[in-house]
Formats: sequence, C-alpha cells, structure tokens
Amino acid sequence: MDIISGLWNGFAVALVPINLWWCFVGVFLGTVVGIMPGLGPPATIAMLLPLTFQMAPASAMIMLSGIYYGAKYGGSTTSILLNVPGESASVVTCLDGYQMARKGRAGAALGIAAIASFIAGTVGVLGLMLVAPPLAKFALSFSSPEYFALMVLGLAMVVLLAGRSMLKALLAMLVGLWIATMGTDLFSSTSRFTFGNMEMLDGIDFVVVAIGIFALGEVFCNMETREAAQVLPVPKGLRNLLPTMQDMKDCRFAFINGSLVGFITGVLPGAGSTIASFISYGIEKAVSKRRELFGTGIIEGVAAPEGANNSETGGALVPLLTLGIPGSGTTAILLAALVLWGFKPGPLLIQEHPDLFWGLVASMYIGNVMLLVLNLPLVPVFAQLLRLPVHILYPLIFGISIVGVYTVSGSLFDLSMLMAFGLLGYLMRKLDYPAAPMVLGLVLGDAMERALRQSLMMSQGDLMILVGRPISAVMLGLALLVLLVPVFGRLNRLRLQAIESEE
Amino acid sequence: MRSSVMILAAGIAGIFASSGLLAADGWKPTRPIEVVVHTGPGGGSDTLARAVASMIEKEKLLPVRMQVVNKTGGNGSVAAAYLAEKKGEVHTIGFFTGVWLVNPLVAAEAKVTLHELTTVARLVLEPAVIAVKADSPFKTMKDFIDEAKKAPGTLKQSGGSITSRDNVVRQLLQKSTGAQWAYISFPGGGERISALLGGHVNMMVIEPQEAGEHIRAGSMRLLAQVASKRLPSFPNVPLLKEAGFDIPVVPQVRGVVAPPGIPKENLDYWENLFRKFVQTAAWKKYLEDNQFEDGYQNSADLLKFVDAYSVQMTGILKDAGVKVVR
Amino acid sequence: MEEKSQKSGDLWSGLALAALGVYIVAEARQWDYLAPEGPGAGFFPLWYGVAMIVLSLALVVSSVLRKASAADTAVDWQRVLRAFLSWLALVVCVALLKVLGFVLSYALFTFCVVAIMYARPLKSAALIAVTSAAGFYLIFPTALGVELPVGVFGF
Repeated sequence: MDIISGLWNGFAVALVPINLWWCFVGVFLGTVVGIMPGLGPPATIAMLLPLTFQMAPASAMIMLSGIYYGAKYGGSTTSILLNVPGESASVVTCLDGYQMARKGRAGAALGIAAIASFIAGTVGVLGLMLVAPPLAKFALSFSSPEYFALMVLGLAMVVLLAGRSMLKALLAMLVGLWIATMGTDLFSSTSRFTFGNMEMLDGIDFVVVAIGIFALGEVFCNMETREAAQVLPVPKGLRNLLPTMQDMKDCRFAFINGSLVGFITGVLPGAGSTIASFISYGIEKAVSKRRELFGTGIIEGVAAPEGANNSETGGALVPLLTLGIPGSGTTAILLAALVLWGFKPGPLLIQEHPDLFWGLVASMYIGNVMLLVLNLPLVPVFAQLLRLPVHILYPLIFGISIVGVYTVSGSLFDLSMLMAFGLLGYLMRKLDYPAAPMVLGLVLGDAMERALRQSLMMSQGDLMILVGRPISAVMLGLALLVLLVPVFGRLNRLRLQAIESEE
Repeated sequence: MRSSVMILAAGIAGIFASSGLLAADGWKPTRPIEVVVHTGPGGGSDTLARAVASMIEKEKLLPVRMQVVNKTGGNGSVAAAYLAEKKGEVHTIGFFTGVWLVNPLVAAEAKVTLHELTTVARLVLEPAVIAVKADSPFKTMKDFIDEAKKAPGTLKQSGGSITSRDNVVRQLLQKSTGAQWAYISFPGGGERISALLGGHVNMMVIEPQEAGEHIRAGSMRLLAQVASKRLPSFPNVPLLKEAGFDIPVVPQVRGVVAPPGIPKENLDYWENLFRKFVQTAAWKKYLEDNQFEDGYQNSADLLKFVDAYSVQMTGILKDAGVKVVR
Repeated sequence: MEEKSQKSGDLWSGLALAALGVYIVAEARQWDYLAPEGPGAGFFPLWYGVAMIVLSLALVVSSVLRKASAADTAVDWQRVLRAFLSWLALVVCVALLKVLGFVLSYALFTFCVVAIMYARPLKSAALIAVTSAAGFYLIFPTALGVELPVGVFGF
C-alpha cells in the first residue's frame, strides 16, 4: 500500500477524538508505570486486556501501545533522581543520569531524557512505517551466530565501562555471568547454582539485582554518615532545570546513535531494550572525545541509552506486525491481545487490516508528541523531589524498592534476594568494584551462552560458524576493535609522551 | 381418622424426602474461589483460567466468583508448592499443565508432584503440527525422516526446552524410526519461528494457533499433525499415525487440581462442576476456536493418567539423556 | 564516595572471589562439559570460573605487591557499622512483612531509621513514619489495586 495514502488514512483514524483520548490514557499510564520501579508494561497491559473488549480494536491497540512506549519515557525519572532503575532498560541511564543529579543537573538530565526519547521514538515509528517489511526479512537472516557476535560486542563494552581498574571490572562482569547462569539450563534441564531452592529454578530476576545493587547499595553507602553531606543539590535557576543549547549540541550524535541502535536491536527477536541501551551507551562512549568522563555525569551518556530504549519499541513492533513474531515479553502479550480481538497476526496483517496498522503508526507519532509535552513540564516538578531531606528520602527509597520488587512477583523470596544484592551493592562500592560491568554480564551472559550453544549445535561443533558468516564476522571484528580502543589510547599517549620528551 | 393418619404419614414421608434432598446438596462454596496459576498475567494458564472463570460465571454454575491468583516462579513449582501448603482448603483450586508433571522428574528442588495434590479433572489436550518452511524440499513426513536417516545429525529442529513436548515428539520418532536429527532450544516462540523462517533450522513442532497465519501467508507448510484426529482447520494434513509413524501419544495436557486433604464432598462438588462445565456449548466453542481437543477425564481417571504419563516421560527423558531425579 | 583503593580490601575481596571461582569450577565439573549435541551445562561455568580464579589471584598478587600509598586510607569502621546496621534494619523489616504486613513493618522501620540513624526528635520521626506508610498504602493497594504484603492484622 502506498505509504502516503496509508499514513493519511492512519491519521484519519488516529485523530478521531476517542482515539486521541485513548492514546493519551495509554501514554499517561505508561509514564506512571515506567516511573514505578518493578511494575512494567507487560503486567499492566495484561491486566488491562479484559477492559479492552469493550473498545474498538484499533483504539485498544493504540492505548496498549501507548503504555508500551510511554513506560520508556517514565523509566528514566527514578533512575536519574534516585538511582533506582524504573525499568530494566533504564539501568544504563542510572550511570550518568544519577551522577548528573548529584551535580545539580537533574533537570538537564530529565529534560534530555525526554527529548532523546521523543526523537528516537519518532525515528522508531518512521522506521516501522518505511522499512518494516524488508527489515523484518533481514532480521530473519539473523540467527544464533549473529546473536553471539552481538553479545560479544556488548561484553566488549565492559572494556569501555571499566573505569580505573580493569581487573575489578572484569571480575564484576564474571560475577554477573555467574548470576546469569543460575537456574534451570534450557538445553539440558540441569539445575545450576540453585542451592536447593525451588524459587531459584528460573533464576534471579534482573529487576531485583538492579534495584539492589544500584539503589540500595547507594543508599547504604550514604547512610554511613548522619550529616546530609551527600544531599543532592537542587537545580537552581532555569539553566539547570532544562538542557541548554550546549547540551543539545553535545548530544547531536547521541540522538542518532540511540535512535538507530535501539530500532535495529528492537527488530531482532529476543534482543531487548536493555541490550539496546547498553550498546548505544558503549558506542557513544567509544566515539566521544571525553570518554574518560563517562560515568561521572555526561549528558550524552543519558541521551544515548534513553533514546535507544525508546526506538527499540518501534523496532520490536516490526516483527510483530509484519510477521506475527513477538520479539519480547510485551510484544508477546500484544500478540495475544490481537488474537483475542479476532485479528490474525502474521504476514498478511498489514494488507488485510491497513486501518489497524496505519492507525497505530499515526497514533505513535501523536503519542510521542503527547509524551514530550507531558514530560518536559514535569521535569522541574520532579526535580523538586530532591528537596526532600535525606532522612525522609532514604526511607522512601527503601520503601519504593521493596514495593517495586514485590509488585513484580509477589514473592518474599525475591525480597530476600533484594536484601542480599543490596548488601552486595554496598560492598562493591566500598571495595571499588564497578557495578555496570556486573549488570552487563548478567544481562548478556544468559543470551551469549545460549547463542553459543545454539550455534555449535547448528554447526555440529564446527567453530567456524561463529566467524564464517558475514554479519557475525563484522560484529566480532567490531568487538575486537572495541577491545583495542584502550590499547590505542595508551599507545597514543605513549607516542605523545615520546614526542614531548624529545622536545 | 384414617385420612389424618394418611396425611400425617404423607407429611412425615415428605419431610424425609426433603431431608434426603438436603443431604444430597452437600458442600457449597461460600467465598470467592482462589484459582492458582503458575504463569504471570497473559500467560497460557492465566488466559485459560480467566476464560474458564468467565464461562462458568456466564453459565451460572457457581454461586460465587472465581479469582485468578498468579503464583509464578520455579517453572511452576512455586504454584504447586502453594497448593500443597493449603492442605484441606476448600475454596482453592489450581490449573496445571504438563510442566507440573515433568518438572519434578528433572528438578530435585521441585518437591510437589501431582500425587501430593488432589486431581480434579483433565480438561484439554493440546495437539500440535509439524511445520517446515514453504520452500523446504520435504513434502511429507517420510521425506524428512528418510533424509534424517541418510544423514544423521544434519537436520535441525527448533523447539523449547529439552523436556518440552517438541522434544518428546522428536525422541519418540527417533526411537521408532532410527532416524536422528539435532534439536536446538530457543526460549521464546518468536525465536523458534524466526529460526525456521530464516532457514536456520529445517523443521519445528508448533501449535496450530501459531502456525495458522504463516501457513495462510504461504511462508510455512505442514508435514503432519500430532493429534488423535485431524484438526478442522487442516483437513488435508495427515496425522502422524496416518503417515505411517505410529508413536505413542504423549499429549500436552491442561487440567484442574485441588489442595491435598480436602473432604470428599468438596471434591465431589468440583468434579460435578467441571463435568457439567465441559458439556456447555460455550466450552465446546472455546475448544474449537483455540484448536484444542476435549480431553476430559474425571478425578480418578486423571490420577491414573498422571501415573502412566510419569512413567512414559521418565523413559523418554532418560533416552534423551536428561538426568531424572525422581 | 572517596574513590580510593584499599590495599587490604583488594586482598580480601580477591581471595573471596578466588574461593567463589573454585566453588564454581567444582560445581561445573559435576555437569556435562560436552553433550552429544554441543556444549553442555558445565561448559560456560567452567570457563568463567577459571577466568575468575585467574583474575582474582592476579588482583591478590597486585595488591600484595603494591606499596601502600598515601592514597590508601584506613577503613572507618564506624561508618561501615552504620551502613551495616541500616541494612540489618531493612532485613528485619522484610522479615516482619509476613507477620505485620507492609504498612506496619515499614512504619516501624522508618521510625527507627529516622529516630536512631538520623537522631531526629521522636515526634517528627513518628510523623514521618506514619505519613510515609500511609502514603504507600494509599497509592498502592487503594488507588492502584496493587497488593502489598498483609500481616496478621489484615492490612
């Protein structure tokens, strides 16, 4: 179908007042759900499904999708202000976002998160609209060897996230890999590292680890002293309440980076927004002129991952709508919803139900605008949260963490895991082990091991399958380059020192 | 005098008769029923439980509501353990699937088997179909098996975990034909389908619901059906048995259980409820819409089925090289 | 947080990680390294376990060899104690959730933290505790319908 006429019809559907209303409800709910740690889009969408039977399917799809991409906007709020990841993909935003808040630039961080999310979200929809079918076909050619190479590339980012002690960063990553292996092995049904507990059979939830290490660890550290020495400075003056023109200039590449990386990662079934944000953060750091400063509060370090996790939603809708293949937990529920409403998601969906597809696409443009308008003015409001004295704020953070974890599974076991990881987070800070590599190992370790074993099963043990195929070879090559970046850096410095000493 | 005696006798008889009716009423629920499922909201068991609950409500088979409670974790063992703890609780039931039967066999941590719970009813048998990519050289199941015999280990099947039904079908076929092919596990349905459509694996066992659209669009083709009779939506696809592969039927099941130690009247009530339920037109339509087979069995038959299934699965898993712990 | 590496911190954490690595390798040896179809369950853990042992021993060695520099500070045990006590208080709060329910456990916890850790007057500590707990109760179970743990008192 002609794209222009399709889009025209789509706007005709999306701009109907009732659909505008549902779009607003969806993105608003999504923002709220994203802000709250623990509760995520999949559970929310599933809970609201029965209510959608009263609605027209197009309206229902518009609303539920609004929740999906709206949550990505909200997830950055607690990450930046409280170091509590609102959503698993927002973990990376904690790295620089929270540091910016500590320097009094919470407003700028929140603002750039919203702006990057808007730009990337819109690019994601553009991608969905323009290149969905051919891209989906391309994604099919992606298989386990390519996923393995992608994960290796991601883990190579550890090198970039290392900070001062490479040894400790690598050790942290290995611990992350260990935690990722806990549970039932998919291929052999062996229980690994479950310590005899049945709750450990499906491993430890990422949210529990992230909240424990980031939020709780940080607060325990701050509770060492009674004085509010660590109180977060409230952004003063308009300059710090919103990003400045300089900030926007600094983030030029990050906007592009986040949009593209997120969208492409989203198209690949199985690779999620967490991976997308890590990779885009890593790429941003790799190309940045001030890469040593990443982790101390650099605005591009917020813009890139926040953009990535938004355009990822557009990308994840590609396999869902063009092939009927759900790539993630949320899209699986959307698939179930489509089936329940009587649609048959598959390769013929767009042809047979153009109103649904184009209405959705048009509403996503509108939704992204709504979210920007919703979120930007709220930035100064949220920033005022930092005015709370620490003796009120920290217990609140504890409360939010407990509630957040409990809402995910209702399991007291998960809460005890949260306690364990809180302690671990504190110890890691005291002993100067960086947390980001561990989280990276946890997120990617699982996927990498699976991809490796799947690849070797496909090739019957032939290792060449990992490097023999063009896409995976390119990515492994990139990974090698990434690993060599610090070496180049050091060589360059040695070279400069040699030049200086000669003069 | 005689007529008043008659009236008195009739009255006394009437009282006895009605008290007999009262005794036959037995137990009735007085609180909302807790329906335990092991998946999160939107998962398979959750969807089925909610659908059943709403159908029961519409048919007014229960005087109270049914409330679905999600107890996720441990591959289903958390839900099973939760039910086992509620010994004697009369207002709780649970929906089980094959995972509840298989998990205790392979995981020592999963301590609760269906023997520790009260079986109520088996409801559904889920058939499956065997699919290949549309441009695959295999036109029939025999083609695939022959190729697998000629070149053992080169053909590949995508599926779920090694204990899932996908692999069970593979193990049984391999054993009975002597053919051999690789099995590659993917955690999500989407990934399994992508692997097939991308040409990275040759075949997969897939639910008819999932395959439907891809077949309609012409990207997938079916070789055979894993069912006891042909599904209405695929009238031209042979059953495995018809295609010449008479392997034992190891179905994927769903049903209802209750906590251990419940009084007999409570169990009778549940059995009665589900016996009536499966005869409703709404349930029959649901089965048809979702391409399920009616697998109704009452409590006693289900218990026998559980025993037979466990024995069968133990043998299959051992053949597959999986360590069986129970 | 002062970004200072502790010599003894590195030493002890390195040793602990080496022990973890040994445990991982020991467990991994019980599983199949190579299954007939491909790498088994023990393949990956073995490799990262070995890597963990090697790298953590490297850390231990480097910490022993490194001369104690002016940048290393002694551990301020009082601060560590405060942090540890906060952690302990939270653990107790979680442990009590089943008995007292979220609202009461959290209120109790907040009260202790504010009054003891931050030495605020008892009245304001109580006020903060009650309002925070009430706030959670209003937002989550009441407004959003999200369940919080309930104790024997029913809320």
